[in-house]
Amino acid sequence: MSKPALMRHIPQIAHVDVNCFYASAERAFNPSLEGRPVVVLSNNDGCAVTRSPEAKALGIPMGEPWFKLAPRAKEWGLVALSSNYELYGDISARVMELLGRYSAWLEVYSIDEAFLGVKGTPAELLTLGRAMKNAVRRNVGVPVCVGIAATKTLAKLANKWAKNNPAFAGVCHWDSIPAANRESLMSRLSVIEIWGVATRLTKRLNVMGIFSILDLSRADPVMIRDRFSVVMMRTVLELQGTPCIPMEEERIGRDQLIFSRSFATPITTAAGIRQVMSVYGQQASARLAKHGLQAKVLTAFAGTSHFNPNDTSYPSACVPLPMPTADPVILTKASHALLPLINEGVRYARAGIMVTDLRPTGNQAPLALFENPHEERRVGTLLEDVTRRYGQGSIGLGHAGIRGGPDWTMKRDMLSPRYTTHWDELPLVKAA
Amino acid sequence: MGVIVGPRVIDAGVSLLSVLISPVPVAAGYPSPAQDYFDGRIDLNEHLIKDITSTYVVRVSGDSMERAGISDGDELIVNRALEPKDGCVVIAVLDGELTIKRLRITPAGVVLQAENPAYPDIRVPALSDLVIWGVATRCLHHV
Repeated sequence: MSKPALMRHIPQIAHVDVNCFYASAERAFNPSLEGRPVVVLSNNDGCAVTRSPEAKALGIPMGEPWFKLAPRAKEWGLVALSSNYELYGDISARVMELLGRYSAWLEVYSIDEAFLGVKGTPAELLTLGRAMKNAVRRNVGVPVCVGIAATKTLAKLANKWAKNNPAFAGVCHWDSIPAANRESLMSRLSVIEIWGVATRLTKRLNVMGIFSILDLSRADPVMIRDRFSVVMMRTVLELQGTPCIPMEEERIGRDQLIFSRSFATPITTAAGIRQVMSVYGQQASARLAKHGLQAKVLTAFAGTSHFNPNDTSYPSACVPLPMPTADPVILTKASHALLPLINEGVRYARAGIMVTDLRPTGNQAPLALFENPHEERRVGTLLEDVTRRYGQGSIGLGHAGIRGGPDWTMKRDMLSPRYTTHWDELPLVKAA
Repeated sequence: MGVIVGPRVIDAGVSLLSVLISPVPVAAGYPSPAQDYFDGRIDLNEHLIKDITSTYVVRVSGDSMERAGISDGDELIVNRALEPKDGCVVIAVLDGELTIKRLRITPAGVVLQAENPAYPDIRVPALSDLVIWGVATRCLHHV
């Protein structure tokens, strides 16, 4: 299939995400879970937040409380695991590091998904998608699917299609699919399936005769903007193939918060990365506080551009925090675990931090036990730094105290080993 | 409960994995003749791990690899990105377990060998019938 020469270098977006991420990360180190129904439970072993395909096939709904599943677990052969955030954080960092080798433009969208800027002919894009999928599976050990399209919204849709239709073998390039097939898919999927359309908006769309994704893609963007919002208009334009959702530097997901960006000018020193990490540590702190959350695990990462193949470096550090916290000092200090891994002189094109294992902030008073004057001094310099960068009132002393959350002796009865971050918990290989 | 501060990730453990090769201490005030040659400590990560993203550390349980110098309790550095070749020590998935064996690829088929006569060989028709989890590159043997 030959495309006009003009098509060759139109940039496209690849959306890559890990299939059933938490369950897949567990399976990477415990192959006996392969083919068995697996659920990973939320904090305090509350409810199922990840289901393997086998668990879905049993009809277990997302968010099903564990106490309802437990009585039937044995009969089903169901394996339930507590959330092992340190493992997931490290595996996520590895996936992102690897993906970063395929594009200078990488947006870590959540713990298990990323957008990448890609260019090439349809055949080259398909080859690239397959190469990424195979590399993540082989080198890191988790399965991913890849969707490639002109816009983020379509790339996510292509990815969903690749996941649900085995014929794609995990990689779907939207523009390579005949238009009739794409329209058929879009007409079968409800608008609620599309990225960015909230449940409550579905009814209003339905009233206007917009039921399927195809209906929405054919709507008048201006009318949609007037009746809904600019956000919904962007979704319509994106479905029509016009990119209008820009790269984002910050995102709060279901159970993680990510700050990541590519730099306009590469950073070449640990001191430079340290500064970036400090900014992210403070941003994360402010954002956690805003959402009334505390984090227990932090992952800091950096990466070079793949345009310098002779000078590559993708350091990352996954740091368990001493207790759930939104404290800027502790978060920033934890992110500095990355610094010893930074090679001076190497041109880092991006860096970021991700905080995971989030839980609501407790009401307990600060624990004096963990305070020390050294840290208090650093709070001062951090506050100055934040104020200088973000203006007065962007951060307050109220967050400086360390609060132990109500659930800081959290129930995690079914926790797997922290295979990749603790020397005492390494995976065992049988020599027998 | 003790407070854990700082990195615990394995690949971040520069302090754990570095060896001091400092020049001989000299009296204060006199520059060491070796000072100009002191280029920092040996970083084992740099020498033992080629590709940090695809490298994992695992621990051996059992004595079936004794003859290869791999003993019960030793740690192995495993690179998942390497192509398994004849003669490699590999981590294979056998009956749902990560298992360490010597990989032999022969015209007659693929054999997973133990390095201990007490354990039988496992024959497999083709490499594609096997799940190779990774290739061991180093053994951190406890002496």
